[in-house]
Amino acid sequence: MAELDEIIHQPLRLRIMAALNALPVSTGLEFARLKKLTGATDGNLGAHIETLARAGYVAVDKTFVGKKPQTTVTATAAGRGAFARHVATLQEIIAGKQP
Amino acid sequence: MIDSQQASAALNDINDIVHRVRQSRIYQTASLIITMWGALVFVGYIANYTWPPQGYTIWAVVDLIGIAGSIAIAAFSGVGPGAGAFAVRLLMAFLLFIVFGVFCSMVLGHFGPRQMLVFWPLFTMLFYALAGLWFGYVFIVIALGSSALIVTAYFYSGPALLLWMAVVHGGALILGGLWMRRI
Repeated sequence: MAELDEIIHQPLRLRIMAALNALPVSTGLEFARLKKLTGATDGNLGAHIETLARAGYVAVDKTFVGKKPQTTVTATAAGRGAFARHVATLQEIIAGKQP
Repeated sequence: MIDSQQASAALNDINDIVHRVRQSRIYQTASLIITMWGALVFVGYIANYTWPPQGYTIWAVVDLIGIAGSIAIAAFSGVGPGAGAFAVRLLMAFLLFIVFGVFCSMVLGHFGPRQMLVFWPLFTMLFYALAGLWFGYVFIVIALGSSALIVTAYFYSGPALLLWMAVVHGGALILGGLWMRRI
């Protein structure tokens, strides 16, 4: 029986992973755009990205564009795999294959 | 473990965010194309005003650059594996658009220069509005705003129509494209 991924299952982290997973492989989202898409606050989003990065599910790239810092978040291969398994488990629960 | 209702809510949340990401990427690509067309037509109107006898040549060059630029942006915008097919469909759409527009304006309508100046932008805006029904309200807002300004220019600008069109058509596209980028 497949288990839900406890790291991804948290609602904001689920939205972050869904957003990153909707992009082509190796394409990331800037922090500001991710914030707008998920409706999160700066602090909240930063903390949850940190959790996902520690789990190896996302890669965080910090650069400077001119003098402005720019943070880009990209789903890793491990993150994409974990997200796909999480979605499959959700679908199994809906289909009644899991208690 | 969660129940099926909670699982369903989670999947809905995922679908919602995926829809938002796709729309955002369409807006990013479209904003580049719209801003480019805005700059091109602005230059075209000013050039047409400066050298009126070269009008047809000027607009042929503007259209060719615009179509090539649109296809290049669509092909290289990083919209994923379907970018190439999307670019081909875009080229076909441009060709159908031009053939139908030429047939209406020159074969059926026999429009004069003033009508031609207004017909093509309005015809373009019809497609923006239709695109908005699938891809997001911003296209509709740009289409309706630009069309209102173009019709106003047609009736009230007198001999300064080309200059008015440079501002209201070119300007509206540039501003609309930049606005779309911020959404």
